[in-house]
Amino acid sequence: MRAAVALVAFFDVLIGGVFHASVLFLVAAGLQLVFGVQRIVNLACGSFYALGAYFGITAVNWTAAHGAPGWSFLPVLIASGIVLGAIGPFIERLLRTVYRRDEAFQLLLTFALVLMFQDVLRFFWGANPQQLGNLSMSYGKVTLGEFSFPTYNVLVMAASLAIAVSLGLFLKRTRYGRILRATAENREMAEALGADVKKIYAGVFTLGTILGTVGGALVVPTAAASLDMPVELVVEAFAVVVIGGLGSMRGALAGALVVGLTRALAITFYAELEVLAIYVIVIAVLVARPAGLFGKPVE
Amino acid sequence: MSALIETVGVTKAYGDFVALDGVTLSVADGETVAIVGPNGAGKTTLVNVLTGLLKPNEGVVRFKGEDIAGIGPVKLAQRGMARAFQLVHIFPALTVAETIAVAVVSQAGRSLSLFGSLRRDAALWTKVRDVAAIFGLDTKLDAEARLLSQGEKKLLDIASAFALVPEVILLDEPTSGVSSGDKHGIMKTLVDAARRAGVKAIILVEHDMDLVAEYSTRIVALQGGKVLADRVPGEFFSDPELIASVIGKRVDKFAAREGAR
Amino acid sequence: MSAPRSRVALVSFVVATIAVLAVFPKFAEPYYVTLVLPAFAYAIALLGFNLLFGTAGLLSFGHALFVAIGAYAAAVLTSKLGVRSFEAIVAIAGIVSVIAAIPVAMLAVRYVRIFFGILTLAFGMLFHSFLFKFYNLTGGDTGIRVLRPTLLGQDWKELDKTAFLIGPFYYACLVLALVLGLAMWRIVHSPFGLHLAAIRENSRKAEYLGVRVRTFRLIAFLISAFYGAIGGAILAVNTGQADPELAYWTHSGELVFMTVLGGFANFFGPLVGAFAFIFLKSELMGATQYWRFFLGATLAVIVIAFPRGLMGLASDAWKKATRR
Repeated sequence: MRAAVALVAFFDVLIGGVFHASVLFLVAAGLQLVFGVQRIVNLACGSFYALGAYFGITAVNWTAAHGAPGWSFLPVLIASGIVLGAIGPFIERLLRTVYRRDEAFQLLLTFALVLMFQDVLRFFWGANPQQLGNLSMSYGKVTLGEFSFPTYNVLVMAASLAIAVSLGLFLKRTRYGRILRATAENREMAEALGADVKKIYAGVFTLGTILGTVGGALVVPTAAASLDMPVELVVEAFAVVVIGGLGSMRGALAGALVVGLTRALAITFYAELEVLAIYVIVIAVLVARPAGLFGKPVE
Repeated sequence: MSALIETVGVTKAYGDFVALDGVTLSVADGETVAIVGPNGAGKTTLVNVLTGLLKPNEGVVRFKGEDIAGIGPVKLAQRGMARAFQLVHIFPALTVAETIAVAVVSQAGRSLSLFGSLRRDAALWTKVRDVAAIFGLDTKLDAEARLLSQGEKKLLDIASAFALVPEVILLDEPTSGVSSGDKHGIMKTLVDAARRAGVKAIILVEHDMDLVAEYSTRIVALQGGKVLADRVPGEFFSDPELIASVIGKRVDKFAAREGAR
Repeated sequence: MSAPRSRVALVSFVVATIAVLAVFPKFAEPYYVTLVLPAFAYAIALLGFNLLFGTAGLLSFGHALFVAIGAYAAAVLTSKLGVRSFEAIVAIAGIVSVIAAIPVAMLAVRYVRIFFGILTLAFGMLFHSFLFKFYNLTGGDTGIRVLRPTLLGQDWKELDKTAFLIGPFYYACLVLALVLGLAMWRIVHSPFGLHLAAIRENSRKAEYLGVRVRTFRLIAFLISAFYGAIGGAILAVNTGQADPELAYWTHSGELVFMTVLGGFANFFGPLVGAFAFIFLKSELMGATQYWRFFLGATLAVIVIAFPRGLMGLASDAWKKATRR
């Protein structure tokens, strides 16, 4: 009997871990895309995530106040995340000023954005955390024998998987995807072959931004949006891309699962180790396989 | 005469592709050996094996009697062999003087001097000036390397290798990228500098047959990873077939010139 | 290479600055004097950081790790181990930091560029989570208190906290900064420093000239850890508390910010940057609640338009002035 209860509890945590991984994957995919094509490591990925979260809450509250049905919050969240992608081209334009320079400066510029975004969020939404109440339960639960978990979580995991698959197909099968990969491999060659690199960079960055904002939006029914989000998420997102391998989409998926599940397991067994465990794994991966699970060898 | 640097039966393969097949050659004190051959013949692989970058699958590579397979560039420099590259390598923001000083300090074993003063080390800068003078760079000691002309960068690259006071120096296409008018000048400078600096042997990878004819004491021709010929220039250039395989077309003018010597 | 006239100007400027700093507490308001203390701390920490960044070309996004180690060393020594001598605290903090840095360095110098940055960030956050979570050992999110140290054996009991800080402690820090600054000047201008610069410019070529790249990067890393910890110890004594946020990655980011603000390509850049940043931040915090935005905007402007920082601007102005 005890075992069954423990199993259920374990399963709950596991689902929580996979859910977390699904959201992390979205942000990491955005990071990987931008790094893979533009060689920029975007420290502001967490800021986009937080922006998506806050804006998502505002959007849902607004639509609810204007008579939208209870079940509509999921599509509203996704839509609000996509709409926020509009800031992508502007930020990319800013980053473009330092493309040719040393990586250090690109990194620093994204750090400047992190600082600035902190106060942008504070300005529009104030210093207190915001949440959507228990909306995640609106979709009810899915029950499989002994186990049950919120349908919302399942939907998000499914959505994330769908996005992962679409991204994969997009990059491998479509013409635009091939151009993207060519530009990632060799920018000069791609330019010489007629690719409009400026447009590509703007497009890629916007897509990366949207992945981040949608990720943040999807998480708000289960967690509060707070001003700590931007800086805290960066660390997890970086753990994901390091474990998975910088620039690799499959790596983003694998890394997200590793981080999400590790966190879940750590919380279950030894709470203090929660975040520590992730960094230990990061360092272990870097020792054993510096390129991460799916990345290209370095130095 | 015992060999200063030698390979014995060196074979290097990458999967199915055999880059070097049983290459045996030796270079002795006082020689200037040119390695020639068409592209893809294995010259670069051979050079990488000779300079301890690549470990051969079979065979040995020895420098001063010691096995140097795969020891890497740092240990190589410490043992007395220097290498200059085809593509110019410089320290962009360092001055000519500083660049040469890096080698002099390293060779003197003073790299770990954390609190020693560079500026007040008169002996160091004298040595730097001497090396720079050999290559005609003594008027540009304070110029940043990135601001030099391509030819000057090349000279600086080689000068810094010389500053290591190596016993053997390996020059990888030292005149590539240099205009034809300057090629002989640069080769002459290099060979004279080597003699003055006490370099005991030079290994040269070159495509320009005029330079090879003029400056080498022996020519090793590679083709398809194998040693095609290992002859002194006199013999080499009186064999038009041989020259044809190396440069890809019949040329008789060398034979005529060798006859005229 | 500096011409003799520039040298004289430089030395005069440095001496003048030291003189001003020495008499600063006598004529300035205590508030501003208390700001100079973290400036000293960061100046020292940044000297170490810039050996890695400006000289060796390695951007660490985890330097705050060593600042935190120094702070917690000071806290543990004074609160838990009864060691109150400032001189001992500084020395022990430095040594502990170097020892802690050895495994980090051995791993980190295998990488360059962004991978080095991410790895150092990971180590910094590893330490942060350790500090944050292990409440029994580290005091969790409140941290550990730092008790007032003795200077030269004296406890200056008759002075209250502020008087102590802006009095004897100020001068102790000034002297420490001078000594450490001089040592770093020697290091940067030594054969070792030249080799670090060569490694930065072209590590492959440096190898071919016999320079042991990984070993030298490792040594530079250890030196930077030493300096970082001493800066952290000063910070902790100043605030009276060692807290985990000192190790957070954004704190590392601020260290980079300060260095670039002052100018990473110049020896004095980090020093100028530390002071400029402290005063800038303090003024901004007093002026608006959205100071982070303006701080970030400042960094953005520098990165885009003035990458060589304040010292870069100063050196350009000097060149223009001396050309006439």
